[in-house]
Amino acid sequence: MTAAPPHGHLHQEVPSDDPRVQLDEAAGVFEPVPPYPPRTEREAEFYTLGDGEMFINMGPQHPSTHGVLRIVLKLDGENVVDLDPVLGYLHRGVEKLCENSDYHHSIAYLDPLEYIASLFCEWPGVLAFEKLLDVQVPRRAEYIRVLATELNRILSHSMFIGWMALDLGGLTPILYGLIERDEIAEMLGALTGQRLLYNYLRIGGVNGDLNHEFMSRLGDWMSRATTQIEANTTLLNENEIFVRRMRGLGTMDKETAFRMAMTGPNLRASGVPLDFRRAHPYSVFPELEFDIPTREEGDCLARYLVRIDEIKQSLRIIDQVIHNMPDGPVIAKLPRLLRPRPGRAYAAVEGPRGQYAAYVISDGTDQPFRMRIHDPSFVHLQAVGVLMPGHLIADAMAVMASLDPIMGGVDK
Amino acid sequence: MDAALKRRLEARFGDRLTAPVYQRHDETEIRIGPGDVPDVCRTLHDDADFRFILLADVAGVDTGTVMQVVYHLWGDTSSDWLRIVADGLSREDPRVPSVTFLWQGAEWMEREAYDMFGITFEGNRDLRRIYMPPDYQSFPLRKDFFLPDDAARSPGAGVRHMEQSHAPRNARPGETMRKVRA
Repeated sequence: MTAAPPHGHLHQEVPSDDPRVQLDEAAGVFEPVPPYPPRTEREAEFYTLGDGEMFINMGPQHPSTHGVLRIVLKLDGENVVDLDPVLGYLHRGVEKLCENSDYHHSIAYLDPLEYIASLFCEWPGVLAFEKLLDVQVPRRAEYIRVLATELNRILSHSMFIGWMALDLGGLTPILYGLIERDEIAEMLGALTGQRLLYNYLRIGGVNGDLNHEFMSRLGDWMSRATTQIEANTTLLNENEIFVRRMRGLGTMDKETAFRMAMTGPNLRASGVPLDFRRAHPYSVFPELEFDIPTREEGDCLARYLVRIDEIKQSLRIIDQVIHNMPDGPVIAKLPRLLRPRPGRAYAAVEGPRGQYAAYVISDGTDQPFRMRIHDPSFVHLQAVGVLMPGHLIADAMAVMASLDPIMGGVDK
Repeated sequence: MDAALKRRLEARFGDRLTAPVYQRHDETEIRIGPGDVPDVCRTLHDDADFRFILLADVAGVDTGTVMQVVYHLWGDTSSDWLRIVADGLSREDPRVPSVTFLWQGAEWMEREAYDMFGITFEGNRDLRRIYMPPDYQSFPLRKDFFLPDDAARSPGAGVRHMEQSHAPRNARPGETMRKVRA
Protein backbone atom coordinates (compact mmCIF):
# COMPACT_ATOMS: atom_id res chain seq x y z
CA MET A 1 0.00 0.00 0.00
CA THR A 2 1.48 3.34 -1.02
CA ALA A 3 1.12 6.37 1.19
CA ALA A 4 -0.72 9.37 -0.20
CA PRO A 5 1.65 12.15 -1.20
CA PRO A 6 1.74 15.08 1.25
CA HIS A 7 -0.86 17.72 0.36
CA GLY A 8 -1.65 15.68 -2.68
CA HIS A 9 -5.22 16.82 -2.76
CA LEU A 10 -4.09 20.42 -3.30
CA HIS A 11 -2.13 19.59 -6.40
CA GLN A 12 -4.61 17.43 -8.21
CA GLU A 13 -4.62 17.84 -11.93
CA VAL A 14 -7.85 19.54 -12.99
CA PRO A 15 -8.93 19.16 -16.61
CA SER A 16 -8.69 22.51 -18.40
CA ASP A 17 -12.29 22.37 -19.62
CA ASP A 18 -13.51 22.37 -16.02
CA PRO A 19 -15.74 25.50 -15.73
CA ARG A 20 -14.32 26.27 -12.29
CA VAL A 21 -10.89 26.77 -13.75
CA GLN A 22 -12.15 29.28 -16.25
CA LEU A 23 -14.05 31.11 -13.53
CA ASP A 24 -10.91 31.36 -11.40
CA GLU A 25 -9.01 32.84 -14.27
CA ALA A 26 -11.67 35.36 -15.18
CA ALA A 27 -12.42 36.72 -11.72
CA GLY A 28 -10.32 39.38 -10.14
CA VAL A 29 -7.72 39.71 -12.85
CA PHE A 30 -7.35 43.28 -14.04
CA GLU A 31 -4.98 43.66 -16.93
CA PRO A 32 -3.71 47.24 -16.83
CA VAL A 33 -3.87 47.59 -20.60
CA PRO A 34 -7.50 47.50 -21.83
CA PRO A 35 -8.35 44.71 -24.31
CA TYR A 36 -9.71 47.08 -26.98
CA PRO A 37 -8.17 49.70 -29.24
CA PRO A 38 -7.70 53.16 -27.67
CA ARG A 39 -10.70 55.45 -28.02
CA THR A 40 -8.90 58.78 -27.74
CA GLU A 41 -5.44 60.10 -28.42
CA ARG A 42 -4.91 60.61 -24.74
CA GLU A 43 -5.73 56.96 -24.04
CA ALA A 44 -3.39 55.82 -26.80
CA GLU A 45 -0.62 58.02 -25.44
CA PHE A 46 -1.13 56.80 -21.88
CA TYR A 47 -1.14 53.11 -22.75
CA THR A 48 2.11 53.35 -24.70
CA LEU A 49 5.10 52.53 -22.54
CA GLY A 50 8.26 54.60 -22.77
CA ASP A 51 11.75 53.40 -21.99
CA GLY A 52 11.95 51.73 -18.58
CA GLU A 53 8.32 52.39 -17.71
CA MET A 54 5.74 49.92 -16.49
CA PHE A 55 2.08 49.77 -15.52
CA ILE A 56 0.80 49.01 -12.06
CA ASN A 57 -2.88 48.38 -11.53
CA MET A 58 -4.10 49.74 -8.20
CA GLY A 59 -7.57 48.87 -7.07
CA PRO A 60 -10.49 48.50 -7.30
CA GLN A 61 -10.07 46.68 -4.00
CA HIS A 62 -7.00 48.48 -2.79
CA PRO A 63 -7.34 49.77 0.80
CA SER A 64 -5.91 53.22 0.14
CA THR A 65 -8.12 54.07 -2.83
CA HIS A 66 -10.98 55.02 -0.47
CA GLY A 67 -13.49 52.64 -1.98
CA VAL A 68 -13.79 51.06 -5.36
CA LEU A 69 -11.54 53.27 -7.41
CA ARG A 70 -9.13 51.73 -9.87
CA ILE A 71 -6.05 53.66 -10.90
CA VAL A 72 -3.69 52.51 -13.62
CA LEU A 73 -0.31 53.96 -12.73
CA LYS A 74 2.50 54.38 -15.20
CA LEU A 75 5.69 54.07 -13.22
CA ASP A 76 9.33 54.72 -13.82
CA GLY A 77 10.98 52.82 -11.03
CA GLU A 78 9.02 54.01 -8.05
CA ASN A 79 8.08 57.39 -9.51
CA VAL A 80 4.62 58.01 -10.89
CA VAL A 81 4.89 59.23 -14.47
CA ASP A 82 1.23 59.36 -15.35
CA LEU A 83 -2.03 57.83 -14.24
CA ASP A 84 -5.45 56.91 -15.53
CA PRO A 85 -8.27 56.64 -12.97
CA VAL A 86 -10.98 54.17 -13.98
CA LEU A 87 -14.38 54.98 -12.49
CA GLY A 88 -17.81 53.46 -12.55
CA TYR A 89 -17.59 50.54 -10.13
CA LEU A 90 -20.14 52.22 -7.88
CA HIS A 91 -22.28 53.88 -10.52
CA ARG A 92 -25.95 53.54 -9.63
CA GLY A 93 -27.54 56.07 -11.94
CA VAL A 94 -28.93 58.18 -9.13
CA GLU A 95 -29.89 61.00 -11.48
CA LYS A 96 -32.03 58.68 -13.59
CA LEU A 97 -33.61 57.19 -10.48
CA CYS A 98 -34.51 60.67 -9.23
CA GLU A 99 -36.04 61.54 -12.58
CA ASN A 100 -38.28 58.50 -12.25
CA SER A 101 -39.50 59.11 -8.70
CA ASP A 102 -41.45 61.96 -7.17
CA TYR A 103 -39.93 64.92 -5.39
CA HIS A 104 -40.21 63.57 -1.84
CA HIS A 105 -38.97 60.18 -2.91
CA SER A 106 -35.87 61.42 -4.69
CA ILE A 107 -34.43 62.89 -1.46
CA ALA A 108 -33.87 59.33 -0.25
CA TYR A 109 -31.80 58.59 -3.35
CA LEU A 110 -29.48 61.51 -2.63
CA ASP A 111 -28.26 60.12 0.70
CA PRO A 112 -26.13 57.18 -0.42
CA LEU A 113 -24.20 59.38 -2.84
CA GLU A 114 -22.07 60.64 -0.01
CA TYR A 115 -22.11 58.04 2.68
CA ILE A 116 -19.93 60.00 5.09
CA ALA A 117 -21.66 63.39 4.94
CA SER A 118 -25.12 62.42 3.72
CA LEU A 119 -26.89 65.55 4.88
CA PHE A 120 -24.82 67.66 2.53
CA CYS A 121 -26.05 65.68 -0.43
CA GLU A 122 -29.68 66.05 0.57
CA TRP A 123 -29.43 69.75 1.21
CA PRO A 124 -28.83 71.12 -2.31
CA GLY A 125 -31.54 68.88 -3.72
CA VAL A 126 -34.01 70.05 -1.11
CA LEU A 127 -32.96 73.68 -1.60
CA ALA A 128 -33.49 73.43 -5.35
CA PHE A 129 -36.95 71.90 -4.87
CA GLU A 130 -37.81 74.70 -2.46
CA LYS A 131 -36.71 77.28 -4.99
CA LEU A 132 -38.91 75.66 -7.61
CA LEU A 133 -41.89 75.67 -5.25
CA ASP A 134 -41.18 79.07 -3.63
CA VAL A 135 -41.43 77.57 -0.16
CA GLN A 136 -40.58 79.59 2.93
CA VAL A 137 -38.72 77.37 5.40
CA PRO A 138 -39.48 78.02 9.09
CA ARG A 139 -36.59 79.53 11.04
CA ARG A 140 -36.42 76.72 13.54
CA ALA A 141 -36.07 74.24 10.69
CA GLU A 142 -33.20 76.29 9.25
CA TYR A 143 -31.44 76.29 12.61
CA ILE A 144 -31.91 72.55 13.01
CA ARG A 145 -30.54 72.03 9.50
CA VAL A 146 -27.45 74.06 10.33
CA LEU A 147 -26.98 72.22 13.62
CA ALA A 148 -27.27 68.77 12.04
CA THR A 149 -25.08 69.55 9.04
CA GLU A 150 -22.32 71.16 11.10
CA LEU A 151 -22.25 68.04 13.25
CA ASN A 152 -22.03 66.03 10.06
CA ARG A 153 -19.14 68.19 8.90
CA ILE A 154 -17.22 67.46 12.10
CA LEU A 155 -17.96 63.76 11.65
CA SER A 156 -16.60 63.86 8.12
CA HIS A 157 -13.46 65.78 9.05
CA SER A 158 -12.73 63.47 12.00
CA MET A 159 -12.82 60.56 9.60
CA PHE A 160 -10.61 62.46 7.18
CA ILE A 161 -7.91 62.94 9.83
CA GLY A 162 -7.95 59.23 10.53
CA TRP A 163 -7.84 58.21 6.87
CA MET A 164 -5.11 60.68 6.12
CA ALA A 165 -2.89 59.10 8.77
CA LEU A 166 -3.94 55.61 7.74
CA ASP A 167 -2.79 56.20 4.18
CA LEU A 168 0.57 57.32 5.52
CA GLY A 169 0.86 54.17 7.59
CA GLY A 170 -0.33 55.37 11.01
CA LEU A 171 -3.02 53.20 12.53
CA THR A 172 -3.76 55.07 15.76
CA PRO A 173 -5.52 58.26 14.60
CA ILE A 174 -8.27 56.43 12.74
CA LEU A 175 -9.25 54.70 15.98
CA TYR A 176 -9.65 58.07 17.70
CA GLY A 177 -11.39 59.46 14.64
CA LEU A 178 -13.84 56.58 14.77
CA ILE A 179 -14.61 57.32 18.44
CA GLU A 180 -15.50 60.88 17.48
CA ARG A 181 -17.47 59.71 14.51
CA ASP A 182 -19.38 57.17 16.55
CA GLU A 183 -20.43 59.72 19.14
CA ILE A 184 -21.76 62.05 16.47
CA ALA A 185 -23.37 59.18 14.58
CA GLU A 186 -25.20 58.13 17.74
CA MET A 187 -26.28 61.71 18.24
CA LEU A 188 -27.59 62.10 14.69
CA GLY A 189 -29.12 58.66 15.03
CA ALA A 190 -31.14 59.94 17.97
CA LEU A 191 -32.19 62.98 15.94
CA THR A 192 -32.91 61.41 12.56
CA GLY A 193 -33.42 57.73 13.27
CA GLN A 194 -30.42 56.67 11.16
CA ARG A 195 -26.74 56.61 11.94
CA LEU A 196 -25.40 56.79 8.40
CA LEU A 197 -27.95 57.64 5.70
CA TYR A 198 -30.11 60.14 7.51
CA ASN A 199 -32.84 61.06 5.00
CA TYR A 200 -33.68 63.83 7.43
CA LEU A 201 -34.24 66.97 5.36
CA ARG A 202 -37.66 67.49 3.86
CA ILE A 203 -38.96 69.96 1.33
CA GLY A 204 -39.85 72.90 3.55
CA GLY A 205 -38.11 71.77 6.71
CA VAL A 206 -36.83 68.71 8.53
CA ASN A 207 -38.35 65.38 9.44
CA GLY A 208 -38.53 65.76 13.22
CA ASP A 209 -37.99 68.21 16.02
CA LEU A 210 -35.05 68.12 18.44
CA ASN A 211 -35.57 65.49 21.11
CA HIS A 212 -34.30 64.95 24.61
CA GLU A 213 -31.86 62.17 23.82
CA PHE A 214 -30.20 64.17 21.07
CA MET A 215 -29.89 67.30 23.19
CA SER A 216 -28.45 65.49 26.18
CA ARG A 217 -25.93 63.62 24.01
CA LEU A 218 -25.02 66.86 22.28
CA GLY A 219 -24.54 68.74 25.56
CA ASP A 220 -22.41 65.91 26.87
CA TRP A 221 -20.24 65.84 23.80
CA MET A 222 -19.93 69.62 23.44
CA SER A 223 -18.55 69.91 26.97
CA ARG A 224 -15.54 67.80 26.04
CA ALA A 225 -15.40 68.13 22.24
CA THR A 226 -12.76 70.84 22.07
CA THR A 227 -10.27 69.05 24.30
CA GLN A 228 -11.00 65.71 22.67
CA ILE A 229 -10.43 66.98 19.15
CA GLU A 230 -7.35 68.84 20.34
CA ALA A 231 -5.99 65.60 21.78
CA ASN A 232 -6.69 63.67 18.59
CA THR A 233 -5.05 66.16 16.29
CA THR A 234 -2.02 66.63 18.54
CA LEU A 235 -1.20 63.02 17.76
CA LEU A 236 -0.42 64.08 14.20
CA ASN A 237 0.35 67.79 14.42
CA GLU A 238 3.31 67.15 16.68
CA ASN A 239 4.42 64.03 14.89
CA GLU A 240 7.61 64.93 13.07
CA ILE A 241 7.42 62.06 10.60
CA PHE A 242 3.87 63.00 9.58
CA VAL A 243 4.53 66.73 9.28
CA ARG A 244 7.78 66.41 7.39
CA ARG A 245 6.27 63.98 4.95
CA MET A 246 3.22 66.12 4.30
CA ARG A 247 4.95 69.46 3.99
CA GLY A 248 5.61 70.50 0.41
CA LEU A 249 3.88 67.41 -0.98
CA GLY A 250 1.36 67.79 -3.82
CA THR A 251 1.50 71.57 -3.92
CA MET A 252 -1.27 73.32 -5.81
CA ASP A 253 -1.33 77.06 -6.40
CA LYS A 254 -4.40 79.29 -6.68
CA GLU A 255 -4.51 79.36 -10.45
CA THR A 256 -4.30 75.58 -10.77
CA ALA A 257 -6.97 75.16 -8.13
CA PHE A 258 -9.38 77.40 -10.04
CA ARG A 259 -8.46 75.76 -13.32
CA MET A 260 -9.25 72.37 -11.83
CA ALA A 261 -12.62 73.77 -10.63
CA MET A 262 -11.76 72.95 -7.03
CA THR A 263 -13.92 74.16 -4.15
CA GLY A 264 -14.04 73.73 -0.41
CA PRO A 265 -11.08 73.06 1.89
CA ASN A 266 -8.88 72.01 -1.03
CA LEU A 267 -9.30 75.46 -2.55
CA ARG A 268 -8.95 77.26 0.78
CA ALA A 269 -5.69 75.42 1.44
CA SER A 270 -4.33 77.22 -1.64
CA GLY A 271 -5.05 80.61 -0.11
CA VAL A 272 -8.50 81.41 -1.54
CA PRO A 273 -11.01 82.35 1.19
CA LEU A 274 -14.00 81.05 -0.79
CA ASP A 275 -16.72 79.50 1.31
CA PHE A 276 -20.24 79.43 -0.12
CA ARG A 277 -21.67 79.97 3.36
CA ARG A 278 -20.22 83.49 3.01
CA ALA A 279 -19.65 83.87 -0.74
CA HIS A 280 -23.17 82.87 -1.70
CA PRO A 281 -25.14 82.82 1.55
CA TYR A 282 -28.00 80.39 2.06
CA SER A 283 -30.03 79.31 5.08
CA VAL A 284 -29.22 81.33 8.24
CA PHE A 285 -25.46 81.59 7.80
CA PRO A 286 -25.51 85.41 7.42
CA GLU A 287 -26.67 85.57 11.06
CA LEU A 288 -23.91 83.35 12.40
CA GLU A 289 -20.38 84.28 13.30
CA PHE A 290 -17.53 82.16 12.03
CA ASP A 291 -14.23 82.58 10.24
CA ILE A 292 -13.05 81.05 7.01
CA PRO A 293 -9.73 79.34 7.73
CA THR A 294 -7.24 79.45 4.88
CA ARG A 295 -3.64 78.40 4.33
CA GLU A 296 -1.24 79.78 1.79
CA GLU A 297 0.95 76.74 1.12
CA GLY A 298 -1.43 74.57 -0.88
CA ASP A 299 0.33 71.34 0.06
CA CYS A 300 -1.00 68.23 1.77
CA LEU A 301 -0.23 69.61 5.22
CA ALA A 302 -2.21 72.77 4.45
CA ARG A 303 -5.19 70.73 3.28
CA TYR A 304 -5.02 68.75 6.50
CA LEU A 305 -4.67 71.80 8.78
CA VAL A 306 -7.49 73.71 7.09
CA ARG A 307 -9.86 70.90 7.95
CA ILE A 308 -8.81 70.93 11.59
CA ASP A 309 -9.47 74.67 11.75
CA GLU A 310 -12.84 74.08 10.16
CA ILE A 311 -13.79 71.68 12.94
CA LYS A 312 -13.19 74.48 15.44
CA GLN A 313 -15.32 76.89 13.42
CA SER A 314 -18.09 74.29 13.20
CA LEU A 315 -18.02 73.97 16.99
CA ARG A 316 -18.42 77.75 17.19
CA ILE A 317 -21.44 77.62 14.88
CA ILE A 318 -23.05 74.79 16.85
CA ASP A 319 -22.58 76.77 20.04
CA GLN A 320 -24.38 79.80 18.58
CA VAL A 321 -27.13 77.69 17.06
CA ILE A 322 -27.92 75.97 20.35
CA HIS A 323 -28.11 79.26 22.20
CA ASN A 324 -30.24 81.06 19.60
CA MET A 325 -32.57 78.22 18.65
CA PRO A 326 -35.96 79.83 17.87
CA ASP A 327 -39.32 78.24 18.63
CA GLY A 328 -41.92 77.33 16.06
CA PRO A 329 -42.75 74.65 13.50
CA VAL A 330 -40.01 72.54 11.92
CA ILE A 331 -41.65 72.02 8.55
CA ALA A 332 -43.75 74.16 6.23
CA LYS A 333 -47.22 72.96 5.35
CA LEU A 334 -47.10 71.44 1.89
CA PRO A 335 -49.30 68.99 0.01
CA ARG A 336 -48.18 65.38 -0.23
CA LEU A 337 -48.14 65.50 -4.01
CA LEU A 338 -45.94 68.30 -5.28
CA ARG A 339 -46.28 69.68 -8.78
CA PRO A 340 -43.99 72.69 -9.13
CA ARG A 341 -44.57 75.00 -12.04
CA PRO A 342 -42.25 74.38 -15.01
CA GLY A 343 -38.92 76.02 -14.35
CA ARG A 344 -35.29 75.56 -13.44
CA ALA A 345 -33.41 75.92 -10.20
CA TYR A 346 -29.81 75.60 -9.10
CA ALA A 347 -28.78 75.36 -5.47
CA ALA A 348 -25.41 74.78 -3.87
CA VAL A 349 -24.16 74.30 -0.33
CA GLU A 350 -20.72 74.27 1.22
CA GLY A 351 -20.00 70.75 2.36
CA PRO A 352 -16.97 69.22 4.08
CA ARG A 353 -15.44 68.51 0.65
CA GLY A 354 -16.61 71.51 -1.29
CA GLN A 355 -19.57 72.58 -3.32
CA TYR A 356 -22.48 70.16 -3.39
CA ALA A 357 -25.03 71.33 -5.91
CA ALA A 358 -28.19 70.30 -7.70
CA TYR A 359 -29.74 71.58 -10.90
CA VAL A 360 -33.39 70.65 -11.27
CA ILE A 361 -35.73 71.13 -14.20
CA SER A 362 -39.44 70.80 -13.55
CA ASP A 363 -41.95 70.07 -16.31
CA GLY A 364 -45.01 70.54 -14.14
CA THR A 365 -45.44 66.87 -13.22
CA ASP A 366 -44.77 65.30 -9.83
CA GLN A 367 -41.35 64.04 -10.94
CA PRO A 368 -38.29 66.16 -11.66
CA PHE A 369 -37.66 66.24 -15.40
CA ARG A 370 -33.92 66.56 -14.97
CA MET A 371 -31.99 66.18 -11.75
CA ARG A 372 -28.32 67.00 -12.08
CA ILE A 373 -26.19 66.33 -9.01
CA HIS A 374 -22.79 67.94 -8.68
CA ASP A 375 -20.44 66.28 -6.25
CA PRO A 376 -17.10 67.81 -5.23
CA SER A 377 -15.36 64.43 -4.85
CA PHE A 378 -15.80 63.82 -8.57
CA VAL A 379 -14.18 67.12 -9.49
CA HIS A 380 -11.41 66.88 -6.92
CA LEU A 381 -10.42 63.37 -7.87
CA GLN A 382 -9.35 64.45 -11.33
CA ALA A 383 -6.77 66.75 -9.71
CA VAL A 384 -4.73 63.62 -8.91
CA GLY A 385 -3.81 63.65 -12.59
CA VAL A 386 -2.07 66.98 -12.00
CA LEU A 387 -0.74 66.42 -8.49
CA MET A 388 0.46 62.82 -8.51
CA PRO A 389 2.96 62.70 -11.41
CA GLY A 390 6.52 63.17 -10.23
CA HIS A 391 5.90 61.76 -6.77
CA LEU A 392 6.82 58.41 -5.31
CA ILE A 393 4.01 55.90 -5.37
CA ALA A 394 3.68 55.99 -1.57
CA ASP A 395 3.43 59.79 -1.58
CA ALA A 396 0.93 59.68 -4.40
CA MET A 397 -1.46 57.88 -2.09
CA ALA A 398 -0.99 60.62 0.50
CA VAL A 399 -1.82 63.22 -2.15
CA MET A 400 -5.01 61.42 -2.97
CA ALA A 401 -5.96 61.05 0.69
CA SER A 402 -5.45 64.78 1.25
CA LEU A 403 -8.03 65.56 -1.45
CA ASP A 404 -10.53 63.48 0.53
CA PRO A 405 -12.67 61.97 -2.24
CA ILE A 406 -15.61 59.69 -1.43
CA MET A 407 -16.25 57.15 -4.13
CA GLY A 408 -20.01 57.17 -3.60
CA GLY A 409 -20.04 60.77 -4.77
CA VAL A 410 -17.52 60.22 -7.52
CA ASP A 411 -19.50 57.43 -9.14
CA LYS A 412 -23.03 58.78 -8.51
CA MET B 1 -31.67 88.98 -8.60
CA ASP B 2 -28.84 91.14 -9.82
CA ALA B 3 -30.24 93.74 -12.24
CA ALA B 4 -26.81 95.27 -12.87
CA LEU B 5 -25.48 91.94 -14.07
CA LYS B 6 -28.41 91.64 -16.46
CA ARG B 7 -27.61 95.04 -17.97
CA ARG B 8 -23.92 94.20 -18.32
CA LEU B 9 -24.69 90.87 -19.97
CA GLU B 10 -27.12 92.48 -22.41
CA ALA B 11 -24.64 95.20 -23.26
CA ARG B 12 -21.81 92.77 -23.87
CA PHE B 13 -23.51 89.82 -25.55
CA GLY B 14 -26.62 91.52 -26.96
CA ASP B 15 -26.64 89.96 -30.41
CA ARG B 16 -25.41 86.56 -29.33
CA LEU B 17 -28.19 85.86 -26.85
CA THR B 18 -30.83 83.64 -28.39
CA ALA B 19 -33.38 84.51 -25.69
CA PRO B 20 -33.86 87.36 -23.20
CA VAL B 21 -31.79 87.22 -20.01
CA TYR B 22 -33.88 85.36 -17.44
CA GLN B 23 -33.64 85.95 -13.70
CA ARG B 24 -35.27 84.16 -10.81
CA HIS B 25 -34.28 83.96 -7.15
CA ASP B 26 -30.47 84.13 -7.12
CA GLU B 27 -29.95 82.89 -10.66
CA THR B 28 -29.27 84.72 -13.91
CA GLU B 29 -29.62 82.73 -17.10
CA ILE B 30 -28.36 83.47 -20.58
CA ARG B 31 -28.96 81.39 -23.69
CA ILE B 32 -26.46 81.13 -26.51
CA GLY B 33 -25.86 78.96 -29.51
CA PRO B 34 -23.37 76.10 -29.03
CA GLY B 35 -20.80 77.74 -31.31
CA ASP B 36 -20.52 80.81 -29.05
CA VAL B 37 -19.61 78.86 -25.91
CA PRO B 38 -15.79 79.32 -25.99
CA ASP B 39 -15.95 83.05 -26.72
CA VAL B 40 -18.64 83.81 -24.18
CA CYS B 41 -16.95 81.72 -21.49
CA ARG B 42 -13.60 83.34 -22.13
CA THR B 43 -15.10 86.81 -21.87
CA LEU B 44 -16.97 85.94 -18.68
CA HIS B 45 -13.82 84.41 -17.22
CA ASP B 46 -11.26 87.06 -18.17
CA ASP B 47 -13.17 90.34 -18.36
CA ALA B 48 -12.86 92.58 -15.30
CA ASP B 49 -16.61 93.33 -15.49
CA PHE B 50 -17.52 89.70 -14.93
CA ARG B 51 -14.66 87.64 -13.44
CA PHE B 52 -16.68 84.40 -13.30
CA ILE B 53 -13.62 82.40 -12.37
CA LEU B 54 -15.22 79.37 -10.76
CA LEU B 55 -16.87 76.72 -12.91
CA ALA B 56 -19.49 75.33 -10.58
CA ASP B 57 -21.05 72.72 -12.82
CA VAL B 58 -21.40 71.35 -16.34
CA ALA B 59 -24.59 69.45 -17.04
CA GLY B 60 -26.13 67.87 -20.09
CA VAL B 61 -29.88 68.12 -20.56
CA ASP B 62 -32.16 66.23 -22.93
CA THR B 63 -35.39 68.18 -23.26
CA GLY B 64 -36.98 65.54 -25.47
CA THR B 65 -36.71 67.74 -28.55
CA VAL B 66 -33.18 69.19 -28.33
CA MET B 67 -30.05 68.74 -26.25
CA GLN B 68 -28.57 71.41 -24.03
CA VAL B 69 -25.32 71.86 -22.16
CA VAL B 70 -25.74 73.94 -19.02
CA TYR B 71 -22.82 75.69 -17.32
CA HIS B 72 -23.06 77.27 -13.89
CA LEU B 73 -20.48 79.89 -12.98
CA TRP B 74 -19.68 81.80 -9.82
CA GLY B 75 -17.88 85.13 -9.67
CA ASP B 76 -17.18 87.76 -7.03
CA THR B 77 -18.69 90.59 -9.11
CA SER B 78 -22.24 89.36 -8.68
CA SER B 79 -24.38 87.81 -5.99
CA ASP B 80 -26.05 85.56 -8.55
CA TRP B 81 -25.24 82.19 -10.01
CA LEU B 82 -24.70 82.62 -13.72
CA ARG B 83 -26.23 79.91 -15.85
CA ILE B 84 -25.18 79.58 -19.47
CA VAL B 85 -27.46 77.39 -21.54
CA ALA B 86 -25.94 76.24 -24.82
CA ASP B 87 -29.23 75.57 -26.52
CA GLY B 88 -30.43 73.84 -29.64
CA LEU B 89 -28.05 70.89 -30.01
CA SER B 90 -29.55 68.29 -32.32
CA ARG B 91 -30.54 65.03 -30.67
CA GLU B 92 -29.01 63.00 -33.52
CA ASP B 93 -25.52 64.46 -33.33
CA PRO B 94 -25.12 66.89 -30.43
CA ARG B 95 -21.85 68.82 -30.63
CA VAL B 96 -20.47 71.68 -28.59
CA PRO B 97 -16.94 73.07 -28.17
CA SER B 98 -15.17 72.08 -24.98
CA VAL B 99 -14.32 74.56 -22.22
CA THR B 100 -11.31 72.60 -20.98
CA PHE B 101 -9.02 75.30 -22.39
CA LEU B 102 -10.31 77.55 -19.58
CA TRP B 103 -11.12 75.05 -16.87
CA GLN B 104 -9.18 71.82 -17.07
CA GLY B 105 -11.49 70.55 -14.36
CA ALA B 106 -14.34 70.46 -16.86
CA GLU B 107 -12.75 67.44 -18.51
CA TRP B 108 -14.46 64.81 -16.40
CA MET B 109 -17.75 66.67 -16.23
CA GLU B 110 -17.78 66.75 -20.03
CA ARG B 111 -16.86 63.10 -20.15
CA GLU B 112 -19.82 62.41 -17.90
CA ALA B 113 -22.16 64.37 -20.17
CA TYR B 114 -20.77 62.43 -23.12
CA ASP B 115 -21.30 59.15 -21.33
CA MET B 116 -24.85 59.93 -20.25
CA PHE B 117 -26.14 61.93 -23.24
CA GLY B 118 -23.75 61.28 -26.10
CA ILE B 119 -22.85 64.96 -26.39
CA THR B 120 -19.54 65.40 -28.22
CA PHE B 121 -17.33 68.08 -26.72
CA GLU B 122 -14.95 69.17 -29.47
CA GLY B 123 -11.50 69.84 -28.06
CA ASN B 124 -11.76 67.66 -24.97
CA ARG B 125 -8.56 65.61 -25.09
CA ASP B 126 -10.00 62.52 -23.42
CA LEU B 127 -13.62 62.15 -24.48
CA ARG B 128 -14.45 58.55 -23.64
CA ARG B 129 -17.01 56.91 -21.39
CA ILE B 130 -16.33 57.49 -17.71
CA TYR B 131 -18.92 55.41 -15.83
CA MET B 132 -20.32 52.89 -18.25
CA PRO B 133 -18.24 50.05 -19.71
CA PRO B 134 -16.42 50.74 -22.99
CA ASP B 135 -18.63 48.40 -25.03
CA TYR B 136 -21.81 50.10 -23.85
CA GLN B 137 -23.90 51.47 -26.70
CA SER B 138 -26.72 53.64 -25.38
CA PHE B 139 -26.89 56.88 -23.41
CA PRO B 140 -28.75 56.30 -20.14
CA LEU B 141 -29.94 59.80 -19.25
CA ARG B 142 -31.59 60.46 -22.60
CA LYS B 143 -35.32 60.61 -22.34
CA ASP B 144 -35.85 57.76 -24.80
CA PHE B 145 -33.95 55.45 -22.45
CA PHE B 146 -36.59 53.86 -20.23
CA LEU B 147 -35.88 52.15 -16.95
CA PRO B 148 -36.75 48.47 -17.19
CA ASP B 149 -38.54 48.35 -13.86
CA ASP B 150 -40.35 51.64 -14.20
CA ALA B 151 -43.84 50.35 -13.61
CA ALA B 152 -45.46 53.68 -14.44
CA ARG B 153 -44.16 53.91 -17.98
CA SER B 154 -43.36 50.39 -19.03
CA PRO B 155 -46.10 48.07 -17.80
CA GLY B 156 -45.23 44.48 -18.34
CA ALA B 157 -41.74 45.18 -19.57
CA GLY B 158 -40.23 43.15 -16.77
CA VAL B 159 -36.63 43.30 -15.66
CA ARG B 160 -34.13 42.97 -18.46
CA HIS B 161 -30.60 44.04 -19.01
CA MET B 162 -30.45 47.79 -19.47
CA GLU B 163 -29.10 47.48 -22.97
CA GLN B 164 -31.98 45.28 -24.06
CA SER B 165 -34.62 47.37 -22.36
CA HIS B 166 -33.95 50.43 -24.41
CA ALA B 167 -37.64 50.73 -25.19
CA PRO B 168 -40.33 48.85 -23.28
CA ARG B 169 -42.31 46.29 -25.19
CA ASN B 170 -45.36 48.47 -25.61
CA ALA B 171 -43.69 51.89 -25.58
CA ARG B 172 -44.10 54.29 -28.43
CA PRO B 173 -41.31 56.81 -27.75
CA GLY B 174 -43.06 59.55 -29.68
CA GLU B 175 -45.91 59.46 -27.19
CA THR B 176 -44.31 58.00 -24.07
CA MET B 177 -41.21 60.17 -23.94
CA ARG B 178 -41.27 63.11 -21.58
CA LYS B 179 -40.64 66.50 -23.12
CA VAL B 180 -40.12 69.89 -21.53
CA ARG B 181 -39.64 73.47 -22.61
CA ALA B 182 -36.49 74.32 -20.69
